[in-house]
Amino acid sequence: MGLLQPESGLLFWMLLSFVVVFVLLARYGFPVIVKAIESRKQYIDDSLAAAREAERKLDSIRADGQALREAAEQQQKEILLQANEMREQMIREAKRKAEAEGQRILAAARERAEAEREAILQDARQQVASLAVAITEKMLRAKLEDEAAQSRLASQLLDEMEHRQTN
Amino acid sequence: MDLGVIGAAIGAGLAVIGVGLGIGKIGSSAMEAIGRQPEATDKIRTNMIIVAALVEGVALFAVVVCFLAL
Amino acid sequence: MMSVWRNIAWVFILLSMPLCVSAQSDAQEELDVKEIVLGHVGDSYEWHITSFKEKDLSIPLPVIVHSPTSGWHLFSSRHLREGAEYEGLRIAEDGDFKGKIVERQADGSDLRPFDLSITKTVAGLLINTVLLAVLVLGAARWYRHRKVSDAAPRGFVGMMEMLVSTLIDGLIKPCVGPNYRRFAPYLLTVFCFILINNLMGLIPIFPGGANVTGNIAVTLVLALATFLAVNLFGSRAYWKDIFWPEVPTWLKVPLPIIPFIEFIGILTKPFALMIRLFANMMAGHAVILSLTCVIFVTAQLGAAINGSMTVVSVLFTIFMNCLELLVAFLQAYIFTMLSAVFIGLAQDNGHQEKA
Repeated sequence: MGLLQPESGLLFWMLLSFVVVFVLLARYGFPVIVKAIESRKQYIDDSLAAAREAERKLDSIRADGQALREAAEQQQKEILLQANEMREQMIREAKRKAEAEGQRILAAARERAEAEREAILQDARQQVASLAVAITEKMLRAKLEDEAAQSRLASQLLDEMEHRQTN
Repeated sequence: MDLGVIGAAIGAGLAVIGVGLGIGKIGSSAMEAIGRQPEATDKIRTNMIIVAALVEGVALFAVVVCFLAL
Repeated sequence: MMSVWRNIAWVFILLSMPLCVSAQSDAQEELDVKEIVLGHVGDSYEWHITSFKEKDLSIPLPVIVHSPTSGWHLFSSRHLREGAEYEGLRIAEDGDFKGKIVERQADGSDLRPFDLSITKTVAGLLINTVLLAVLVLGAARWYRHRKVSDAAPRGFVGMMEMLVSTLIDGLIKPCVGPNYRRFAPYLLTVFCFILINNLMGLIPIFPGGANVTGNIAVTLVLALATFLAVNLFGSRAYWKDIFWPEVPTWLKVPLPIIPFIEFIGILTKPFALMIRLFANMMAGHAVILSLTCVIFVTAQLGAAINGSMTVVSVLFTIFMNCLELLVAFLQAYIFTMLSAVFIGLAQDNGHQEKA
């Protein structure tokens, strides 16, 4: 029976110490620990999210780099192709030019040769004419007696001359 | 010996019998429930303790009455 | 496995031995086990540590007493040893106030003064309270100079952190419900307070050993705190369920039967909390002490019996101490859990959780 009767002094001390310890712990003790636990939990969650985000970003960066490299390769290939083409074209152009130049030079040379030949022909004609005149003069002067023989001779000579010239 | 003491002792014994039966029943049902649904163990255990505490509370009243009779 | 069975058989043989012999033995010197057990489980004005060669070794504690006739008294309990009288005060040998300080009045009757003495229980309570405050505030201090990104604590602080997070996640959050944050400090304080007092009570020598939580005054204050926490913060639905529950009208209109029962229920819940903790802890102390007393009870029965019973007693005491270690934790857990459940039910706004 005595055990079931709360003692007033003990009640007082218990009330005092419990209230004091409760106020102390409820203000400075447990909220600090609870807050620390919760903020650590939050921090871990945030860190995990950040890591996931970083991984995702890294992946996208890697993909971007891949795409960039592919594009660069493509471009390089195109540039090479273009350069090749240009080179070919240049060569073709040069060839064409060289050919044209050669043609031109050849044509000029031919023209000049033609002109020279013409001149030579002209000259020869003149010389033949003057020769013919001289021959005629001589024949006229020396063998004017045989007219028929003279003219035969003259035409023969002319023929021969002509002949030589065409050859 | 005082008759009151005998009465208190008998009363305490009866209270213990009742609580023993009650808590035993709770325990067996809880074990069965855990056996059926092992994934609900935590919930079952919590409720088991609460119900056992309620039964025990009734027994404690009996014990207090016995103390008073002592 | 065989050795275990052999041990158990051995224990039973030892147990049955005194039964055969006890018939012949006649006790010369009766050892009052009840006195020893109740003396420990109850309270005392000095902290008895041991007796050595007929001399008691004990720590005297301050006596603080206010008497309506002679005012305040403050002195060491050393002056009251062996029934001595000091400043008109003495410890009553028998009567209604047996073991308490009483004051002899002019007419020869005894008066119980208002007693604020630091008794053994109060001293134990104060030591445990200071210890609790130091431990928890020490753990909380650890966080002061640390950032969130620092490493998690180890050792004692880590243990406190684990305890707190286990209690919050496993007990407070599911039992109290959504606004558990408001009640978490109270419930954690109650848990740690009961736990440290229970554990210190299991230590047999000086700083521990006081039967603090096995004292009705202590559990009364704890239950009162829970009572206040439940009822001061109760929701409207909670009060409506008590005074106007959803039952057939004839049960509540002419004679408020159900409201009366519900109202009694408000009081019985903390009452059960109080008695449960008190009875469990007191019973634990009493059983351990009784088992230890077996050694001294059987001292007159001869060396063989006494020796065998000593072995039995020590084995049982070790077993009981292990059990009490479990009970110390379990009772703190149950008290906290039931407090949390009651608070949660009072916070509940609807009927979805009321079974």
